Amino acid sequence: MKLLTANRLNDGRVIYLGEADHAVETIDAARPLDDAAADAALAQAQSRPAVFVNPYLIEVEGRAPSGRDRLKERIRSAGPTVGHSLDFPARNETA
Amino acid sequence: MYRYDEFDAALVRERIKEFSDQVDRRSSGALTEDEFKPLRLMNGVYLQLHAYMLRVAVPYGVMNSCQMRRLAHVARTYDKGYGHFTTRTNIQFNWPALQDLPAVLSDLAEVEMHAIQTSGNCIRNVTTDVFAGVAADEIEDPRPWCEIVRQWSTIHPEFSFLPRKFKIAIVGAPKDRAAIRTHDVGLQIVRGEDGQTAFRVFVGGGQGRLPHIAQEIAPAVRGQSLLAYLTAILRAYNLLGRRDNIHKARIKILVAAIGIDAFRDEVERQFAILRHEDLRIPDEELARIQAYFTPPPFNDLPATSPAYDAARRLNPEFARFTRSNLREHKQAGYGAVIVSLKPIGGVPGDITAAQMDVVADLAARFSFDEVRASYEQNLVLPHVRLEDVHAVWSRLREAGLATANADLATDIIACPGLDYCSLANARSIPVAQALSRQLADAALLEKLGPVRINISGCINACGHHHVGHIGVLGVDRKGEEYYQITVGGSPDEQAALGEIVGRSLPAEEVAPAIARALDRYLEIRNDGELFIDTVRRLGADPFRTAIYELTDAAA
Repeated sequence: MKLLTANRLNDGRVIYLGEADHAVETIDAARPLDDAAADAALAQAQSRPAVFVNPYLIEVEGRAPSGRDRLKERIRSAGPTVGHSLDFPARNETA
Repeated sequence: MYRYDEFDAALVRERIKEFSDQVDRRSSGALTEDEFKPLRLMNGVYLQLHAYMLRVAVPYGVMNSCQMRRLAHVARTYDKGYGHFTTRTNIQFNWPALQDLPAVLSDLAEVEMHAIQTSGNCIRNVTTDVFAGVAADEIEDPRPWCEIVRQWSTIHPEFSFLPRKFKIAIVGAPKDRAAIRTHDVGLQIVRGEDGQTAFRVFVGGGQGRLPHIAQEIAPAVRGQSLLAYLTAILRAYNLLGRRDNIHKARIKILVAAIGIDAFRDEVERQFAILRHEDLRIPDEELARIQAYFTPPPFNDLPATSPAYDAARRLNPEFARFTRSNLREHKQAGYGAVIVSLKPIGGVPGDITAAQMDVVADLAARFSFDEVRASYEQNLVLPHVRLEDVHAVWSRLREAGLATANADLATDIIACPGLDYCSLANARSIPVAQALSRQLADAALLEKLGPVRINISGCINACGHHHVGHIGVLGVDRKGEEYYQITVGGSPDEQAALGEIVGRSLPAEEVAPAIARALDRYLEIRNDGELFIDTVRRLGADPFRTAIYELTDAAA
C-alpha cells in the first residue's frame, strides 16, 4: 500500500492525505492507497498547491514506511529523533 | 565592527519588501513552488524535512550583543527556542512558518542582519579566522578585506547566477584557522615585494562528492587589485564552468579538468581585459573600512593577572577550561574565550535562546560587545581580560556553555543530518552524541590533545568529513544507516583529504571504533606528537587495524 505525503504550504510541516481528502498531520490518520487510488490521490494533491507542496507517494506496510527511504519517512512522520526541537514546541503548534 | 551606511540599510529594506510580496503571492497561490523556490533560496529559505529553514548570515562570523539578543528573540518568537550555528558561521532556524519570514527578516534588519546570499548559486558568506584581530601571528586583520569582498559580492549582477555556489575564505596569518584550501577561493594575506598588503590566492578547493584541495594560482596579488583578480576568477568560472551536471559544476571540477596552469592563463587573460579603474580599491575607501575594525580600547595591562593565576591554582576545573578554551591574545593581559557549543552528548552547533542571551550579556560586559562564530560551530568572546576569565567561565558554566573541549576530540563538527536535512542519507547528530559520550572523560580528552572529528550525513559534506583528522560519512545501504570512516584529513595549511580506511560500519559501532583508533594513537605516538602528526608519520594502517579489530574478530 501507499500513502500520499507532502509539506504544508503555510508552515512546511509534514502532512498526509487523510480521509475525505483532508490534509492530516499524523501518519496514523493517513489514508492507505492501492495503486489505482494512489495515482488519483497524487493528481488530486498536485491540483491543491495551496496546501500540498511537492506531494509524492511512499510505500507502507500498515502505516509504517517500508520503501527504500523508510528511515527518512519515519523521521519525517515522527520528527527529529534528537535535539532541542523535542523540548520546545513552536508557536502555532500544540506541545 | 562594520555598521550599515544608508545604502546597506536601504538595500536590505528593499529586499525584505520584495520578498514579503513574493511570500504573499506564494501564499495566495499566484506563485507555484517551482517559481517560488529560486526566490526563497535567494533569501536563505529552504524547505527541509519537517519545515521551512531560514539561514541567517553572520558576515565573517562577527556579531555584537544586540545582534545575538535579536537572534534569541527570533528563536523564541518564531521558532522552537534555539538556533544552529553552521560551518559557514551562519545560524539556521529550523521551524519558521512561511508567513512569518518577512517579520523575521524585518526584525533582523533592525540589527543589521539579513539572509541574502546564504543560499543559491552565488557568492556565499565570506568566512575568516575566528581569532582575527586577536592572534599574534597575524600579518594583518583580514576582516576589512572580508567586508570589502562582502560589499562587492552582494547582489553582484554578473555573479548572481553562477554555475554553482561559491565560497571564499580569508586569513591574515600563515596559520590557516579558516580552512581556506577547502574553499572555491582561499585568500591568505602576505606581504608583497613592495611591503604592501598582498594576497596569496588558492582556487578550486571544495568538498562534497568530488573533493579537492585548492591549488595556488597566484603568490601575491596586490591588495588594491584583489577585486579585479577575484572578478577575473569568477568571470573565467562563469564562462567555462559546467552547467549541464550539478555534480560537476563547482569551480574545483573546472580547475581539475583543465589544470591549474590553463585556468591561471584564462584568469590572467580576463584580468588583462578588465576595467581596472572600476575595480581598484581606493586607499581612502580601504582606510574607511579598516576604521570599523580598529582594535577596541584595550587597557594597558600586565601580561599576567594574579587573580587569574590564583583562580587557576584553586580550581582544577577552571584551570582545565583555560587550558582548552582560552587562546592567547596579542594584547597583553587579555585572552580569547571559546564558548563551547559541544556539550557532552549535545547537538553540535545548537544554542538555545537563553544561552544566546547569556553570551550576549558576557560579550557586552567583558568582550567589548563582540562575539564571533567559528566554522568549528563554537562561539568566541574575543577580547576578555584575564582577570575576568573566571567570571566569564562561571556564567558560561551555569548556562551549559563551558565544556572544556575546544579543538579536542569531543569538539565534533557535524551537520544536522537526516534528523533535519532533506538531502541527508543518514543521521549525524546521534553519532556525534554517542561519540561525545564515549570520549567524555575530561582527563582522557586532555591526554589525547587536539583531534578534529567531523561527521557528515551525506556526501555533500556539510560536516567537512573529508578534512577531519577522523571523518565520518553517513551512507545509505539499502535503507539502513552506515558510516564510512576516513583518517588523516586536515583543514589547515597542511590541508589533506582523509583516506577511507575500509568498509562502512553500522551506527552503534562507530563510536567504539573511533575510541579504539584514539587508544592506538596513545600507544604509538612519540612524546608530544599530535594525533594528526602520528597519522602523517605512520599512515592510516595502525588506525585501520584498530577500527576493524573487533568487527574482524567477530566476522
